[in-house]
Amino acid sequence: MKLKQLLPVLIAGIAIGILGFLLKMTQSVDADLHRARLENIRAVDNLDVELNRLFTQTRASSLADSAADRTKITQRLGNDLDALDKGPKALRGLNKDLDKKLDQFLDTIEAKFELGFDFEARNTLLNQGLVNNMDAVPVNTDALLEASPAAATKEMLRPLIAQLKTELLTLSVTPTPTNAATIRDLLAQMKAGSETQSEAYRTALDSLTSSCEEIIQDKTEMVDKLKSFLGRPTGAQLQAVEQGYTAWYQGQVAEANQYRAILVGYAALLLLVLAFLGIRLRRSYGDLDKANSKLVDANENLEAQVDARTKDLSTALKDLRNSQAQLIQSEKMASLGQMVAGVAHEINTPLGYARSNASIVRTTLADIRDLCNAQDRALQLMTSENASDEEVATALSDAEERRQLVNPVEVMGDLDNLLDDTDHGLVQIADLVSSLKDFSRVDRSRNDHFKINEGIETALKICQNQLKNRIEIVRQFGILPEIECSPSKLNQVFLNLFTNAAQAIGDSGKIYVHTSAEANGVSIRIIDNGCGMSDEVRQRIFEPFFTTKPVGKGTGLGLSIVFRIIEEHGGTIDVHSVVGKGSEFTIRLPLKQQQANDSESSPSLAAA
Amino acid sequence: MTASTTAKARVLFVDDEPRILTTMRMLFRNHYDVFFAESGQKALDLLKVQAVDVIVSDQRMPGMTGIELLRAARDLNPNAMRILLTGYSDLNAIIGSINEGEIFRFVNKPWSNEDLSVTVARAVAAARTSAALSAASTNEALATPPGPQPGVLVMDDDPSVPVKVQSILGDDYRVFGATTMDDAVSLMERERIGVVLSDTRVQDNPVISLISTLKQHHPELVSVILTDRADAGQAIELINQGQIYRFITKPIHDNQCKITVNSALKQHERLAQNPELHKRYEVEASATPPPTAATTGAKFLDRIRSLRSWVKRA
Repeated sequence: MKLKQLLPVLIAGIAIGILGFLLKMTQSVDADLHRARLENIRAVDNLDVELNRLFTQTRASSLADSAADRTKITQRLGNDLDALDKGPKALRGLNKDLDKKLDQFLDTIEAKFELGFDFEARNTLLNQGLVNNMDAVPVNTDALLEASPAAATKEMLRPLIAQLKTELLTLSVTPTPTNAATIRDLLAQMKAGSETQSEAYRTALDSLTSSCEEIIQDKTEMVDKLKSFLGRPTGAQLQAVEQGYTAWYQGQVAEANQYRAILVGYAALLLLVLAFLGIRLRRSYGDLDKANSKLVDANENLEAQVDARTKDLSTALKDLRNSQAQLIQSEKMASLGQMVAGVAHEINTPLGYARSNASIVRTTLADIRDLCNAQDRALQLMTSENASDEEVATALSDAEERRQLVNPVEVMGDLDNLLDDTDHGLVQIADLVSSLKDFSRVDRSRNDHFKINEGIETALKICQNQLKNRIEIVRQFGILPEIECSPSKLNQVFLNLFTNAAQAIGDSGKIYVHTSAEANGVSIRIIDNGCGMSDEVRQRIFEPFFTTKPVGKGTGLGLSIVFRIIEEHGGTIDVHSVVGKGSEFTIRLPLKQQQANDSESSPSLAAA
Repeated sequence: MTASTTAKARVLFVDDEPRILTTMRMLFRNHYDVFFAESGQKALDLLKVQAVDVIVSDQRMPGMTGIELLRAARDLNPNAMRILLTGYSDLNAIIGSINEGEIFRFVNKPWSNEDLSVTVARAVAAARTSAALSAASTNEALATPPGPQPGVLVMDDDPSVPVKVQSILGDDYRVFGATTMDDAVSLMERERIGVVLSDTRVQDNPVISLISTLKQHHPELVSVILTDRADAGQAIELINQGQIYRFITKPIHDNQCKITVNSALKQHERLAQNPELHKRYEVEASATPPPTAATTGAKFLDRIRSLRSWVKRA
């Protein structure tokens, strides 16, 4: 899945990468750089030529004058050579052949520099010697002329000496190949016949000859050195470098052109691919359009379907709500029925004996009335003067018979007892009725201040028939503040918990009811020592429809309603239970209700 | 019988409210030997040492309910007539008292002294009559009477019910179906019927008057109610005025139905052979005239009265 999504991206990336690479290769030839490199080479060439010129000039001009120029040129040449070797304009590293040529050139020019320095140093010494020997020449010629006694000799010597001086001057400035030979020839001419001359003459001639020889030697050395300097093949080598570079550049250009051709081909290929994709896209769009129009159609249908479904769903929801309300109602009716059964029995029992007692009293009173009448009649007869003894005796015996039958002493006691019982029964009924009223709280508003302890008592009374003679209620009531709540709902909670506790207890047991005040609220604990429940059961008891009672005995809504009522009151309910030991329900309720809590609470419980 | 008529009948009252017992003592001490117990357990303890003729018990008592007590008492002291005197009972308790307690009457608190006295007196009389019989003929095997085997008449609006009952009981039983009371009576005129299996209402008419009349004139007929419209008041009427033998609820459970019908047929045989027992199933006169009297009333009931008795003939 991921790969499928990644693949097109990968392909596009590669295509763009190739394009970029080709583009870069076509632009690898930088014309500006090329020009700069060529200029650099030219500059080096020019400087080299200039340097040569400067060295050549040194023969004519003063060395000191040209030294500064030379230094400057050398400096610039060095910079340009560095630029050739490295830096942006460098030629190094372009290809091997070029590198070799460059190295050769750089070596040569370096050697040339060394020769230059050597020449400079030697030149100073040679020039000094040259100057000294040149200066010695006129002295020697004069001495020679002095030493020649003969005037003819003097006449012969004078043109020779003049020619020698000219030749020497020419030699020192611009030597020609014949200079040295001419000088030596002139000296030889002067020597010819010297055996005939005086000692002084010979000495002067020797001195002159040695001076001239030194001049020739010095000058020859100087010329040789300059020739060697100038003979360095820098120009040719630089040209080779230039040629090598140009060849490389041409190669580069050719390569770039090749890449350009490839780029064009590649671009054409890309265009083709794009065109293909475009066509495919267009076709896809066509398909999409068709699909879309189908979808639009389907959509319209769907809307109708959705409408229908929504209607169905809302109907189902309504039904569900109704049935939920019905279930809660039926749970309420069931618990109400249970309560009514208990209460009816509780009321009908005292009512039964009270009514029966009244009836017994009535019949007994009838007997007593008869007795009284009989006794009255007997008394009347006894006091009457015209009654016969027989009549009196009959009346008396009748009265006595009745008295024995009725036994007034015993009967009066019985009647008292019966009436006492009747009273007791009536009080019980009155109590129950008043508890019922308290329990339902129909005469009180929904949110009222309520004494929890009283509510618990009421609930206990209502379910008394389930507790009576079987379960001991242990009350541990704390002094509680009145809390704001819906009394009838809380009574329902207590009744439910007591009923459950009573059902959890088998034949006999105890229910502890513990209440205490807490910060901002009250806590109520209802503890029974009944059968308890397992953890699985305990975790589910507040779920709607969860019941452990047999089918038909409970809806399983009782505790879920309890939970909701406590929740609505902003309270909590917790359970602890140990199987076989009993259960403990702990309810915590706040003193005050939050605003707008009860007004719109769930409608299903509103009627509770 | 001579001995027992001279001695006072023994009546046991059971209630967890002692004042009720006081009242009962005042009411009955002149006529019977009265015994009292404040709980079911105490009553059973007493019954173990002292047989009685009638037991009057409350239903809602801690520890043991009235039905539980009467069922146990039926085993301990089968001849004693059983009466429930209770302030309130839900339908389950009433059905339980019919099926398990086989009670004679169901009396609501508060009661009328006269009615209660009459009821107790009737129960005493029935107990006295049948006590002699059971003493005389406990070992006498029930001989199958001659004539056709008694059939089962099923009265129900739903014609599939008789078919279902027939299929449950099997082909050894004769099952007749009727969807109206006229059909039922016509059937009874033609066939020997031992057990009537009926819904509480047929064609929207309560069957109570039919059953009551049948029981009055043909006490050997045994009625069983099979219904899904159970109602506490109706059930009480059916026991007091119709002496129904069993009360079962739909949907029909095969086993329960079979056991009930078998037991009802046996009861029919017992009653047919021992008319002395009839008193034990004597019905209370209906306070109101039967509603069917409006149209076909008197004539219809005459037909029921004049149904020939298969038993007498046999």
